[in-house]
Amino acid sequence: MAKKKLNSILKGTFLISEDSFKNWRLIIFLSFLAIVMIASSHSADSKVHEIARLTEEVKEYRSILVEGRKKFMELKMESSISNKLKEKGISASDAPPKKIIVKSQN
Amino acid sequence: MFFFALLVVYKLVDIQFVQGDQYRELAEKRTVQNVTIPANRGNVYSADGSLLATSVPKYDIRFDALTPSDKNFKKHLKGLSDSLAKFHGKSSSYYQQNIRKARANKNRYFLLARNLGYTEYLRFRSFPLLNMKSYSGGVIVEQTTKREHPMGAIAERTIGYERWDDQGNVTRPGIDGAFGSKYLRGKDGKRLKQKIGKGQWKPISDANEIEPQNGYDVYTTIDVNIQDIAHHALLEQLEKFSADHGSVIVMETKTGEIKAISNLGRTSKGTYYERLNYAVGESHEPGSTFKLMAMVAALEDKVIDTSDVVDTEKGILSFYGRKVRDSKHGGYGKISASKAFEVSSNTGLVKLITGSYKNKPSKFVDRLYKMGLNNTLDLPIIGEGKPFIPHPRDKKEWDGLDLPWMAFGYGVSLTPLQTLTFYNAIANDGEMVKPRFLREVKEFNKIIVPFEKEVINSAVCSKETAKKVQQMMKNVVDKKHGTAHNIYSPNFSMAGKTGTCQTEYWKEPGLYISSFAGYFPAENPKYSCIVVIHKPDKKVGYYGNVVAAPVFEKIAQKIYSDTPMVDAIENLEEKFAAVNSSYDSYYATAQKYKTIMPDVKGLPAMDAITLLENMGMKVTLKGSGNVKSQSVSKGKKIKKNQTVILQLS
Repeated sequence: MAKKKLNSILKGTFLISEDSFKNWRLIIFLSFLAIVMIASSHSADSKVHEIARLTEEVKEYRSILVEGRKKFMELKMESSISNKLKEKGISASDAPPKKIIVKSQN
Repeated sequence: MFFFALLVVYKLVDIQFVQGDQYRELAEKRTVQNVTIPANRGNVYSADGSLLATSVPKYDIRFDALTPSDKNFKKHLKGLSDSLAKFHGKSSSYYQQNIRKARANKNRYFLLARNLGYTEYLRFRSFPLLNMKSYSGGVIVEQTTKREHPMGAIAERTIGYERWDDQGNVTRPGIDGAFGSKYLRGKDGKRLKQKIGKGQWKPISDANEIEPQNGYDVYTTIDVNIQDIAHHALLEQLEKFSADHGSVIVMETKTGEIKAISNLGRTSKGTYYERLNYAVGESHEPGSTFKLMAMVAALEDKVIDTSDVVDTEKGILSFYGRKVRDSKHGGYGKISASKAFEVSSNTGLVKLITGSYKNKPSKFVDRLYKMGLNNTLDLPIIGEGKPFIPHPRDKKEWDGLDLPWMAFGYGVSLTPLQTLTFYNAIANDGEMVKPRFLREVKEFNKIIVPFEKEVINSAVCSKETAKKVQQMMKNVVDKKHGTAHNIYSPNFSMAGKTGTCQTEYWKEPGLYISSFAGYFPAENPKYSCIVVIHKPDKKVGYYGNVVAAPVFEKIAQKIYSDTPMVDAIENLEEKFAAVNSSYDSYYATAQKYKTIMPDVKGLPAMDAITLLENMGMKVTLKGSGNVKSQSVSKGKKIKKNQTVILQLS
């Protein structure tokens, strides 16, 4: 009995017999599931790569930002500005600026 | 044969079932891992939101000398060496030789550059060979996260860092170090991940997952502008006097916020950099700046008054065979207590203090203790120096010299910040506020921990005493006899006390600490500031007023000229009858005359030109002032581009 069943499986009778359609249905369905599974696993992998790439990019932009800020900080520092303007004979005023505020305007 | 088959089966069973768990675990370890997700460290900001410390990726570039093919290697070696030579400033042949050697020695990990910033990294990747893919060009890039200070060397020691060495020992100077574990560091996350291609790991389950918590951002009280001024003013003075080291602190009087703190030490080459946090860590004999504490104590105990007359004894006093000398040879004669302070007479102060306290020195020291001078400030920054003021009940520390020497700042020890805190309390009419470095701790725009003003002692002395010594400190700068009159400015007021004190006199004579502590403006103080400069070159100068006070003055001057003076007026719409009537008549003329010459006599030249040129005429002026006569008379019809000559008076 058991030997007969094994033989029929090996011969593939369940694929070609008269009522094989219901077996095929299941086989196709299972293959479809397998394809979906493989595809989603691949898309997950590619997302991981994408995330890694983007993280790298964020890091790069961060470095650019910090480098730019560093340069900017150096440039905007009063000491560096006054150093640059010294050549032109311009120096910081000793007197404070005056702010005039107009309280009401009719 | 069967026997071998049995052996194979036995081994199979053994591996599969007996040792199976062990092997499965091993396999899993290679492909599945609990990966730590590092939390981002928070940033340190200045009060106005400028970045002071942040974490950035840095790149190390190495080179696998075996990877490139012979053809590529030969073709690009020179180009690569040229580029490297240009980058590092060494010769091209040096690199050619070294890279060839690395290839000959089969070095697959040859270091080209360390700690590159991103733009430098990009530049490197454009070099020949390095611009190829790593499997054909041989470039190896390693990325690490490093702490960066965008302000550069400025305030570096106070901003600080947290650094681990190979043995796991950690050093934590400054704010970054002090608040590292509490706020900045954050918490690392954990996640189970499986290995996939290209050296990446993908998350495989939601269980046992810990999200990383990024560190909070820390906002300090440091003002970038004031810091910049303080740093450069100090640097200039240190260079001028080729001093060993120095520090400056600027503190907001009312709140205790540290606006600037600069510490510069000299290298063997004679340049200066933020070496140690002297301002916080270095406890030293304050010298004459301590006369303020002595004076406040005596006034508060009501054992002297400002007008008490003291004999400075020709500038020399003797105690147990040791001498107290005035810096002015021959002393100052008989002067009032306040003048003794203003001219910084050592003998004067010593006589005042010993005269009042010689029978009960503990009363004097108790008063100093009561003012909190023997306590640390309990700062978050690690390594605050301990103050030292001996007490008569401690027989080991106390001898007969202590009381007189204390009166002018010897035999006691304070850090610059502790001295400044006391001066700030006096400027604040007696309220001693704790110096603070932090404004708030934030996560994006949400405030997590706000920091408020902290009062250490609501009254170190009475208001009257504070007012008396405030006047004395003002006189130090304002009055001709004051020790810091050299920094007097007619534009704004300052108050303070100079200090010139010998240091390491047990090693060699002639080493000094020059200091100046004070506040500005003298009335209604906004900032207090201390400048301490150690071991200036004696040949250039060493007195506190010459070495330290100019730094103070420069900072005060800058803050004064940076603060706008505000004037408010009620209304701009003033009406002046003369202006209005003159405008009305001008307007009427302009409307009336289009093709006929008007009478412009008596009009200012400016008005006449506008009027005539708008009509299409060419105007030539002679002289200056108002129009006296016109070449085309009134009422004549004019043509386009006709010239008219106006004679002015």
